Amino acid sequence: MTNSLLELSNLSIDVGDRSIIRGLNLSIPSGETHVLLGANGSGKSSILSAIMGLDPFKVVAGQIRFKGDDLQPLTTDERARLGIGLAFQRPPRLEGVTSYAFATALRAQEVFGREAPRLKLSEFADRDLMVGFSGGETKRWEVMKLFLQSPDLLLLDEPESGVDLEHIATIGEAINRLTDSRGDRSALIITHTGLILDHLDADVGHILADGHIVHTGDPKTLFRHIQQAGYAAPAA
Amino acid sequence: MAINRQSDAPLNDDEIKLLAPVGFADDTKRSATAVLIDHDMRYTDSSHKGVEILPLQVALERYDWVQNLMFNLIAPDENELLRQSVELLNDPIGHFVYVKPGVRLTQPVQTFTLMETPQRRQFTHNITVIGEGAEVEFISGAAVPARVQAGHHVSIEETYVRRGAHCRSISIERWGTNMAVDSYSRADIGENAEMISTQINLAPLKQHLSDSKTRVGANGVCNDQAIVFAPEGTERHFQSETLLTAPGARAESISRMVAAGGSISNRALLIGAAPNTSGFLGCDGLKLSDEGEIFAEPSLKALNAQAELSHEASVGMISSDKLAYLMASGLDEDSARDLIVQGFLKLQDQYVPDEMRRQITEMIAAAKSGGM
Repeated sequence: MTNSLLELSNLSIDVGDRSIIRGLNLSIPSGETHVLLGANGSGKSSILSAIMGLDPFKVVAGQIRFKGDDLQPLTTDERARLGIGLAFQRPPRLEGVTSYAFATALRAQEVFGREAPRLKLSEFADRDLMVGFSGGETKRWEVMKLFLQSPDLLLLDEPESGVDLEHIATIGEAINRLTDSRGDRSALIITHTGLILDHLDADVGHILADGHIVHTGDPKTLFRHIQQAGYAAPAA
Repeated sequence: MAINRQSDAPLNDDEIKLLAPVGFADDTKRSATAVLIDHDMRYTDSSHKGVEILPLQVALERYDWVQNLMFNLIAPDENELLRQSVELLNDPIGHFVYVKPGVRLTQPVQTFTLMETPQRRQFTHNITVIGEGAEVEFISGAAVPARVQAGHHVSIEETYVRRGAHCRSISIERWGTNMAVDSYSRADIGENAEMISTQINLAPLKQHLSDSKTRVGANGVCNDQAIVFAPEGTERHFQSETLLTAPGARAESISRMVAAGGSISNRALLIGAAPNTSGFLGCDGLKLSDEGEIFAEPSLKALNAQAELSHEASVGMISSDKLAYLMASGLDEDSARDLIVQGFLKLQDQYVPDEMRRQITEMIAAAKSGGM
């Protein structure tokens, strides 16, 4: 038992017959924001999906512990109710389910009223989720969803992809509001472009390559390294 | 709750409680009211001089022209069931509604059918005339007390929407679980007239046939939506024909069907018989289990080269992606399914009076959970 909020130990993840992650170790203490950097297809999203318990991502070895509990026996909704929230990279279209109906189902109408203007989603109360949403609107909604859910651990899968520069700042500020509003709240954020780092108060960065974490350090320093040298670990 | 009445025996509190969930409100909120209980046209009342509401038999005696409207849009021997029903009936039972030309009613007209006797055979015939340029909103419903589980209800509706008139209607039915219901509706929509209707069929029953035919005149509009639910033991058959008879006539028909172990068939035919007619049929089905079936067959017939007709049909299960997305926010599987089903059955709000929306949402939730 550690004091980490999230602890991934020797974790291996398969999708069907394909091995995606092998022997990954990652620890996120309460109150820290971590960033996971990696090339396309390196398995970043698979890690978040496995933490959330989504199909078809199977934990074939190792363990995911959250607040000290092994998540393996828990269903996706049980994990969410335990305090994990995932902002999807590509959420499905939910025809007929409006933003406000979703907020009502989570009993978070008040939060919706407060946060919608800040995320420029005030006009979206009666819109069906993701139906006709632009890339930026989808990402802003996914952050809004985390406000509605108010989890202890935020998982964000490429929150800036498909978002114009102006709105990347909005999303970064919103994530900061989420983490700053509670000192013990943690976050694991996947970024491919790294643009979100300009607007985010991240504590730790990790580079994922070949199915496991190859380097850990200051997030902005790591991103500058990646821009120059790619996703290989910096020389010691 | 007492209601103001001019004729016949009063509705008791139990009857009012049964009708409230299918749209009944007291006379202060309605322009006119008709309530049929078993074979008794128990109550008719109009608080607006622009609308007349009478037992059909009284209307036939009072106005010569009403007889020309009866069996004008449907033949009494159209099928064996109708032939037998008509022959068994000495005096017609049902209501006659006449909204006078040019009248714009600010409050709805409401009509209800209640079956209080188990194993009753009920046959009703209703005639509605909306005069030229008139505007009206209808709320109609059917209900039975919990003790009535079996019986047979057969109805004929003949509706005339005269030139330039506008009619919006919503119909909600809650029959007994072992009942059979056969509904035949016929409508004639005149030049520049508009009829927008919503049919809510959520409560379980044994067998339900809904047979409708509508003729739409020049630049007339017919828009309808049906919200249909079939739990285990419920079989519903919908068949409709919309005939766009004259230039500029338009129609849009949307059906949303959810089968939770029961069966639903929907055969819709749209006919463009004149230049510049246009129409759309949409039949979407959601199947919640492997039991039962959904059959969707939208058909188009163009009799004129300038008829623009289209249709869409889809039947599917609840997508696992959608379920996973909602569960990842903390909703349990049942709540996630309910949200998706309610979204699928979502009414086009502009068709439904504000006061009815919450009741319908509650009925959808209750139907899904088997609580009806």
